[in-house]
Amino acid sequence: MFRTHAHAWLFATVSAAALAASAAAPALADETCQSPYMAKITGEEEFVYVWTLGMDGVGDGSDKVVTVDVRSGSPTFGQVIDVDSVGGQHEAHHGGLTDDRRHFWVQGLDTSMIWIFDIATDPANPKLVRTIDDFVEKSGGVAGPHGAYALPGRMMISGLSNKDGTGRTGLVEYTNDGEYIATHWMPTAEEPRGAENAAKADGYGYDARVLPRRNVMLTSSFTGLDNYMRPLGEVVNDPEAMKAFGGTMVLWDFHARTPRKVFEVPGVPLEIRWAWGENNNYAFTTTALTSEIWLIHEDENQEWHARKVGEVGDPSKMPLPVDISLSADDSTLFVDSFMDGMTRIYDVTDPFAPKLIHEKKIGAQVNMVSQSWDGDRVYYTSSLLANWDKTGADNEQFLKAYDWTGKELVPRFEIDFLAEGLGRPHLMRFGSRALYGS
Amino acid sequence: MTRNAPLVAALATLLLAAPALAHDEAASPTHTVTGPADGYAFALAAPGTYSLPRIREAADAVLLDEFGAAHHLARLFRGRMTVMAFMYTRCGDICPVAAMRMADLQALAGEMPEAAGKLQLISVSFDPAHDTPARMGEYARHLRADDTRPPRWLFLTAPDGDAIAPVLDAYDQPVMAKADPADPFGPYSHLLRVMLIDPRGQVRNIYSADFLDPRLVLNDVLTLLRDEPAAALSR
Repeated sequence: MFRTHAHAWLFATVSAAALAASAAAPALADETCQSPYMAKITGEEEFVYVWTLGMDGVGDGSDKVVTVDVRSGSPTFGQVIDVDSVGGQHEAHHGGLTDDRRHFWVQGLDTSMIWIFDIATDPANPKLVRTIDDFVEKSGGVAGPHGAYALPGRMMISGLSNKDGTGRTGLVEYTNDGEYIATHWMPTAEEPRGAENAAKADGYGYDARVLPRRNVMLTSSFTGLDNYMRPLGEVVNDPEAMKAFGGTMVLWDFHARTPRKVFEVPGVPLEIRWAWGENNNYAFTTTALTSEIWLIHEDENQEWHARKVGEVGDPSKMPLPVDISLSADDSTLFVDSFMDGMTRIYDVTDPFAPKLIHEKKIGAQVNMVSQSWDGDRVYYTSSLLANWDKTGADNEQFLKAYDWTGKELVPRFEIDFLAEGLGRPHLMRFGSRALYGS
Repeated sequence: MTRNAPLVAALATLLLAAPALAHDEAASPTHTVTGPADGYAFALAAPGTYSLPRIREAADAVLLDEFGAAHHLARLFRGRMTVMAFMYTRCGDICPVAAMRMADLQALAGEMPEAAGKLQLISVSFDPAHDTPARMGEYARHLRADDTRPPRWLFLTAPDGDAIAPVLDAYDQPVMAKADPADPFGPYSHLLRVMLIDPRGQVRNIYSADFLDPRLVLNDVLTLLRDEPAAALSR
């Protein structure tokens, strides 16, 4: 019956443990859309860490990690309880937590700096423990470190650019404590690295996310330093600049770190969200310039495809969908669009036919959205890029928190990042003391 | 239904005899294995078609074998490929699955002359207060292949908790005591990290449960062996 005596013994041992266990599983309440390798918060999130761009004339003007207390009943609920400036403006953008959630990595798109904060010793008071200032040199020329994605004992940094400022870029791996491991360049038509449909490969990068049980990684594409550090108005009126945006996604053999298939997804596919269900072999993305929802999915013959499945608002008005968040049960997709400041919430129970179930204007501009694992709480921030944010009265800079009832968003609290002297809030990550024991 | 009934069902599926699928490079004609690689979208990359960059130096430590004899990890690593897992015997969570994969790896590698003698398996307990050398020996007898052919599988522990703490730090292996020490799944929370270490003591891969497939690990071993000068390997 069993292949070896070891198998039989293990089965007996674990069966006994299972019979001894009758307690219900504790509710998990982490943010969705994170690396599946990460430890999950048990219970509600306690802190939201906000990676914030410095603004001239606002506070100290520096990029900073802002810690917000979101503990229900706390006397400082909904307030900033800690600010850690890194000094200077680096185009603070994205970051991420290590698989053990002990460290929060944040990066600067302009200077290619990386800062590593310890959030385990005191989750209410992050401490800078390491600065990496040789990312471009160590990586062999990748620049604009963007995502920071947890792998077992490692971090995968997806780049946006290179030392020349164009969009050819790659993925860079580090150990959790900040030692360089390797660089994996995105495929191009000239250097296809064995990828199918590589004639269409453009070499741009943006997000990188893994579906471990299928051993696949998916990457998306944006643009290089030359574009993302220019004012948006200049870029859109420069036909040559507008040609320098990505229009592809790449499916990789994750174990071998080799590109396997290039998909044409025109219009700058940005954030990637894999479904969580064990039989849901698909991911969503939205295209910034064409305002479309795309599904990258595996068919019954184990072939992978990319397919447009919906539109966000009125694409002719270029609402610019930016961040998305997929609920833990794969039923609900939140889509933020920057230009109209809207969040649109879709029923994606049928992933091929998203149905709009709610929409709400969050502010004059909106970018990131983070959702709790139980789907009950949603957080929004406002900033896209220093030179792409709106100006004047429309340059609202906020963190806004809501309860999601399943039908509507009910305000919980908001923080005005200009009035508080903080800057332009961007990426959010959740923390909790419960992760680190007593 | 108990909380980990799905785990038991999954283990039953995994542990019961089942034919191996055909897409693994390292499959043996007599010992069939199943594992996460059966669910991958692509066939496993063939040995030597990909690279495994150095991740970090595998730290030295003095640990005890099941007879209580002390060993330097650095000396054990020298001259062999090593697959090393941190575990504890009271674990009712992920450790049994990892142990099953290690047992399959030992059996599968045992039928591959090009790998067997150049590979060893090491299980290290982070619960030395309970996992004494004698306890590790008892655990080993349930898991290790009956015969004495390679690859060998060592079961190590530490003299006490103070001795294992710096080892866990050095290997970036998070372990946390649970609030309920009587938790039926075991008193510790931990992330599964199984490491592939080359003959010079460099970590070359870190496997989570989704990638701890004996066939994938063996492909990694064969990939690294292609670049190893014979002189660097033990007899």
